[in-house]
Amino acid sequence: MNRLRALCSIAAAVCLWQLVCVLGAGPKAALISPLEVGAALAELCVNGMPPGNLLPLHALYSLGRVLTGVLLAVLLGGPLGLALGASPSARRALSPLVDFLRPVPPLAWIPLAIVWFGIGFGSAVFLIFLGAFFPIVLGTCSGVRGVDPLLVDAVRTLGGGRRDIWLKVLLPGAMPSVLTGIKVGLGIGWMTLVAAEFTGVRQGYGLGYMIMSARDLQRLDLVVAGMVGIGLVGLALECALGCLYKHLLRWQ
Amino acid sequence: MIETSLTPPKPRSGKRIIALALVLAAVAGLSFYTYGRKAAPAAPVRMAYLQNDLHHLPLWVAMDKGFYADEGVDVKIVGVFRSGPEIMTAFGAGALDAAFVGEAPVTLAVARGAARVQVLAQANTEGSALVVSSAWVQGEDKERTVAIPGNGSVQDLLLRKALALSDLAAEKVKTIVLAPPDMLTALQAGQIDGFVAWEPYPSRAQTMGIGRALHTSADIWQGHPCCVLAASDDFVRAHPKEAQGMIRAQERAIRFIAERTDEAVAIAVKHTGMDETVVRNAMGHVTYTSAPSIAGEEEYVRFLGSIGYIKGEDPVALTKRILGSSQDGKAK
Repeated sequence: MNRLRALCSIAAAVCLWQLVCVLGAGPKAALISPLEVGAALAELCVNGMPPGNLLPLHALYSLGRVLTGVLLAVLLGGPLGLALGASPSARRALSPLVDFLRPVPPLAWIPLAIVWFGIGFGSAVFLIFLGAFFPIVLGTCSGVRGVDPLLVDAVRTLGGGRRDIWLKVLLPGAMPSVLTGIKVGLGIGWMTLVAAEFTGVRQGYGLGYMIMSARDLQRLDLVVAGMVGIGLVGLALECALGCLYKHLLRWQ
Repeated sequence: MIETSLTPPKPRSGKRIIALALVLAAVAGLSFYTYGRKAAPAAPVRMAYLQNDLHHLPLWVAMDKGFYADEGVDVKIVGVFRSGPEIMTAFGAGALDAAFVGEAPVTLAVARGAARVQVLAQANTEGSALVVSSAWVQGEDKERTVAIPGNGSVQDLLLRKALALSDLAAEKVKTIVLAPPDMLTALQAGQIDGFVAWEPYPSRAQTMGIGRALHTSADIWQGHPCCVLAASDDFVRAHPKEAQGMIRAQERAIRFIAERTDEAVAIAVKHTGMDETVVRNAMGHVTYTSAPSIAGEEEYVRFLGSIGYIKGEDPVALTKRILGSSQDGKAK
């Protein structure tokens, strides 16, 4: 029933969008109708942008970059978030650094990313990593801090050690926030994608790269089709994360 | 008072009514004429240009030296953009009247119908270069990576032409799209072997000691189109005098650059914040001219057609549409 409702709302939004375009509620060049986007998606699958570089491969390359960047953010940001959440001294020492770096937009890192990691995969992954890292750190930290101290005390009272506190209380208790942090990080990772793939992609593939190429040619229909592509891949990942949620939080 | 106001007017004779109508018409006509003459000052021309692009020096000269004001045109800078397509989007949204921009985005915008614009005057021709790293050894048989600012750009075509000049096999050269400022970083880090970009990036690479110009664009494609002063069709139709005034100001600015180069360099340094040596070196590679390069534009349109970026366009007709009235008596 919920899925049906979601589909109905998407269908209604698309119909409204088409209606606005048909009624011509703005300059024609600025209104790309869903039908035009559909045609553009077909063109991207058949001819590609730049010509020969097809949409499925763009999506695949982007997915690889985003997943690598987010995975690195989880591997590094998760432990850091746990440390910040569990240890007041670590929080005092590292929070100012985290708060100092957090507002710097990934776009500003582009020149350094090129110098440090070269053009292509390394820089793109680094920029996506930066976008995903801080939400994961903060989500994990707040998850650990949100665990009821009484539960920790209860484990200690029952003779549990540090390992038990982490495995039986802190990690499960923090998991909802950790997963929310990953969800937000993944979203920001996708948002960073266009900038990340503008640092030069050696293979000529990537949804962000494709969007920038279409923009250079002023093909707004292809730009919107690229955005739809990102949205669809994002939606698929969201569904996958939902399944992961259900599995990891089944105790809830 | 109430009684007075409700008193029916006395009937007037036909002559009086006609006389009154004539007087009223005369007053109305005079007011309209006076309004038209005095009219509140026309809204300023909404102008934009590309950040740090030395090809736009005629704009800065015309602004700083008051050439627009002399020609009765009030120009207001409403945006400094990072790329030509963004300027075209702003044109399409009706947010700009005129802009200094590359001829390539104008061509694509007109061909695609993304914005109704035309070229008022050329700003410059040439002014790009194929820059290679210090380690580049000509004739060496190895794969190279060369950056260009965009697929289908004038620099893309310049690179394809340069390959023939340099005896480089196309299959040995891998192109990569990078923003020009990032090209310098990438060249310095050894990530690319060379790039094709507009000034001042080639001169900056040279001054930084990270590369040298293997071929200037004048060597590769003499008189090729580059940046232009473009205006929206609506603006040109509604304000033909201002459009003409802007062209005259442009011509004066270009003469100024040729005759008083030191002052022009100082203006360029002020607007770009770049080193004077870089600016002088860069200006030496740019040909400032208001005459449109018709043959060059037609060749560029043919190139876009050959790589499938525009379809079904007659190069001559499209060039005529893009260059608009700028062709009159000035073409080369």
